[in-house]
Amino acid sequence: MAFVFRFCYNGDRKTQKGTVLTVNILEVSDLKKIYSTRFGGNKVEALKSVTFSVEEGEFVAIMGESGSGKTTLLNLLAALDKPTDGTVRLGGNELSAIRDSDLAAFRRDNLGFVFQEFNLLDTFSVEDNIFLPLVLSGTSPKEMEERLKPIAERLGITEILKKYPYEISGGQKQRAAVARAIITNPRLLLADEPTGALDSRATDELLRLFTSINRAGQTVLMVTHSVKAASVASRVLFIRDGEVYHQLYRGNDTNEQLYQKISDTLTMLVTGRESR
Amino acid sequence: MKRSLYPRLAWTGIVKNKVLYLPYIVSCIGSVAVLHVLQCLSYSTLLKEMRGGRSTEAILSLGKIVIALFSVIFLLYASSFLLKRRFREFGLYYVLGMDKKGICAVAAWESLILAGIGIGGGLLTGALFSKAAELVLARLVQGEAGFRPSFTLESFTFTFSVSLVIFFIVFLRSIVTVLRTDPIGLLKSESTGEKPPRSNPILAISGLLCIVTAYVMAVSIESPLNALLFFFVAVILVIIGTYLLFIAGSVALCRLLKKNKKYYYRKDHFVSVSSMLFRMKRNGAGLASVCILSTMVLVMISSTSALYFGKEDNLRRSYPNDVTVSLMMDGTESLTEENLTAIRSSYEKVIADRGIEPTAVREYTYSGISGTLSGNHISVRPSDFYDPSALDALRTLFFFPLTDYNRVADDDLTLGKGEAAIYVISGKYEQDTIRVENTEWKLVTRLSSFFPFEDTELSLNPTYFLVIPDNSELNELNGMRDDYGNPMLDVRYYYGVDMKDADLEAFSVSDMTEPLQSMELFRDGMGYSGGNIADARGDFIASFGGLFFIGLLLSAVFIAAAAMIVYYKQLTEGFEDQARFGIMQKVGMTKEDIRAGIRSQTRTVFFAPLLFAGVHLSFAFPMVWKLLMLFGLRDMTFAILTTLIAFGVFCLFYALIYRLTARTYYKIVSESL
Repeated sequence: MAFVFRFCYNGDRKTQKGTVLTVNILEVSDLKKIYSTRFGGNKVEALKSVTFSVEEGEFVAIMGESGSGKTTLLNLLAALDKPTDGTVRLGGNELSAIRDSDLAAFRRDNLGFVFQEFNLLDTFSVEDNIFLPLVLSGTSPKEMEERLKPIAERLGITEILKKYPYEISGGQKQRAAVARAIITNPRLLLADEPTGALDSRATDELLRLFTSINRAGQTVLMVTHSVKAASVASRVLFIRDGEVYHQLYRGNDTNEQLYQKISDTLTMLVTGRESR
Repeated sequence: MKRSLYPRLAWTGIVKNKVLYLPYIVSCIGSVAVLHVLQCLSYSTLLKEMRGGRSTEAILSLGKIVIALFSVIFLLYASSFLLKRRFREFGLYYVLGMDKKGICAVAAWESLILAGIGIGGGLLTGALFSKAAELVLARLVQGEAGFRPSFTLESFTFTFSVSLVIFFIVFLRSIVTVLRTDPIGLLKSESTGEKPPRSNPILAISGLLCIVTAYVMAVSIESPLNALLFFFVAVILVIIGTYLLFIAGSVALCRLLKKNKKYYYRKDHFVSVSSMLFRMKRNGAGLASVCILSTMVLVMISSTSALYFGKEDNLRRSYPNDVTVSLMMDGTESLTEENLTAIRSSYEKVIADRGIEPTAVREYTYSGISGTLSGNHISVRPSDFYDPSALDALRTLFFFPLTDYNRVADDDLTLGKGEAAIYVISGKYEQDTIRVENTEWKLVTRLSSFFPFEDTELSLNPTYFLVIPDNSELNELNGMRDDYGNPMLDVRYYYGVDMKDADLEAFSVSDMTEPLQSMELFRDGMGYSGGNIADARGDFIASFGGLFFIGLLLSAVFIAAAAMIVYYKQLTEGFEDQARFGIMQKVGMTKEDIRAGIRSQTRTVFFAPLLFAGVHLSFAFPMVWKLLMLFGLRDMTFAILTTLIAFGVFCLFYALIYRLTARTYYKIVSESL
């Protein structure tokens, strides 16, 4: 099954690359998620109704305060959780239509993850951490090494491949995590607060890295509440109380200009709510 | 307020970590209870009134010492798990402004609470179970359990003070550990990353060497006396070797597997090999302990049960008749028909005077001698015996005159002069002739069976029975004297009689030998061996029953300890792996993959000790068998059978432990799935 998916996606991707035709890689429509406590008493509406789409090659940032539903949204996009209502289509496939048994393979082949707390496994060396998804899909050791070489060079982690996660810095850990996320050539890279645990220098480095990966054609969707992180995206979505509240397009803005716009929007969102 | 803070912190610490503390408390209660049960038994009327009860009591006190020592070691081990998890909490107290004195106070209160529960619960459980234990022991040693409650004030005070000492040692250790760790270490102790251990080939190889040496020793030693000498050497070698092999050897193995990329980078091996490697250093010791405990249980149970269940057979071999007298004679020249008739009629008179009708009588003469064998020559020079290396060459020979053999065995063997028939009891003899000093016999017949022979002193070394034409062939040996001037040839007249059990009760061997003392023949003194089978049976049951009981009890304790080690191992690994499997799932591992991985990993790690214990046991068997021979066991098939049954039963227990503890692990890990 996994093989079939990969075959289709890799197939149409090649034909579309370089054409002006824009294709929506991700379509989210009217997504709703209600959590209920075990005895069905209290219901918490994490997502009310979220609708948006991401085009191939885009770099989308989703902003929102804690509790706005960002993490819920990301879990639904990653098919780690099931929506109460609404659909998520990734590359034309509706996630809820994929059988549970195929989900892991689907996730492995189509999605790359970068997390705030890196989520590297300390039982593995950096190299083996990066190999993990490839090993899971049965890639040969030779091919894994061939794939790793250019990525490691680009991310500047060639030197630390043999080290263990607790021997390297936070910035290095996050770069290793990025390498793990992109080594499978995913259709969509999902980043959850990737700069949350980094100092400012490592943050700058990581954001530059994201920009360059995006320029190379990788579609990125990043959830963050850091204005700085969001300001490198090509589009910023604002979520509040479980709904997409506002969005900003970069247009021809520089990072600094977008930063200013995002700040303004956030201020407006906060004061706007207060004045209500 | 402040005064009640420490005990309260200690108490909530225990309650909140009950997953960890409950098994510990159970082991505390268990240790105290077992001690108390043993103590109650030594005061019970059962042993006081029982025939041979003293030997049982001696065995029980030995068991008490073993249990006490083991409790100390085991509780130290188990409490180290608790300490590790509690350190973070202690570190937090420190950061919040509690000084080390305060932390020590919390630790002290904690020890006090645990000791209180352990001793209180243990005394109570011990008292409850002591009656049951007494009944079991009574059944095993075929004695009468009294109706009195089996616990007394003395047994209470004894157990109480011994347990107090045990818990105090455990308490001291935790205080010392707290004092020696710096506060930041306290806070971080659990989260510090551990480097996967470097493989140390020297350690791994020396571990392997230790085990191989012990194995070779166990397999190659022929003489039971040497087995006794070297048994403990072998045990210690195996223990050291097992620890080294589990700690260093498994790391080396995992490293090797990891180097093989084709093997390592596969879905089903990738995760398990790396996490086994990661935690092997810590868990190697635990697994080795489980392996050694298992081996001890297996050796103990198989040998004590073989002795216990083989006791009747054992007994019959020492006492081919209900009452046996093996009378020492001065030399072959005193075996005249006249002398023998005089002795025989004296025996018959004693039996007839008591109104006993013998159901069977067996009598014969024989001579025995020991020497060292080389080629076909047996040298009986005594100086050779003192060399330990000669132990393996040591042979025992028994000579039976042809007429006696034919009569007792109901055979019609014929032998010419210088000819002999041979029957080999243990070991083998493949030469066609045998020469003892300068007398040589041609072995014309090999006998496949022999009549029952009382062998209280024989067959620790390979033993040959030779049927010779008559005693005149022993003239050379008959004249030989050892360094002290005693005859070297042991010439005897055996007389055995069977009778009804009721008659047997009141009959003693000395009744038969007493009248002989007035005979001219025994003017210079008289020696004999033999006895009443009923007396001996009582002794056998008392000592082997006691041994079997202690074997069962210690096995139960060791199995419980092994279970506890495995439980703590699964628990700590579960907590570690919880986060790890969550990540793997996000990276694209299916729940099924993860479950299969967990299953194969826990299984490998869990059944490795059992496998090793099985191998240890099979190599230990030849040695254990020699030791069992010292106790008089001769039926090897029977011993193999009890060993196999013991192993089977143990496997069942082990599998049960696996199921129970694996469930704990799944429960913890699946919280993240």
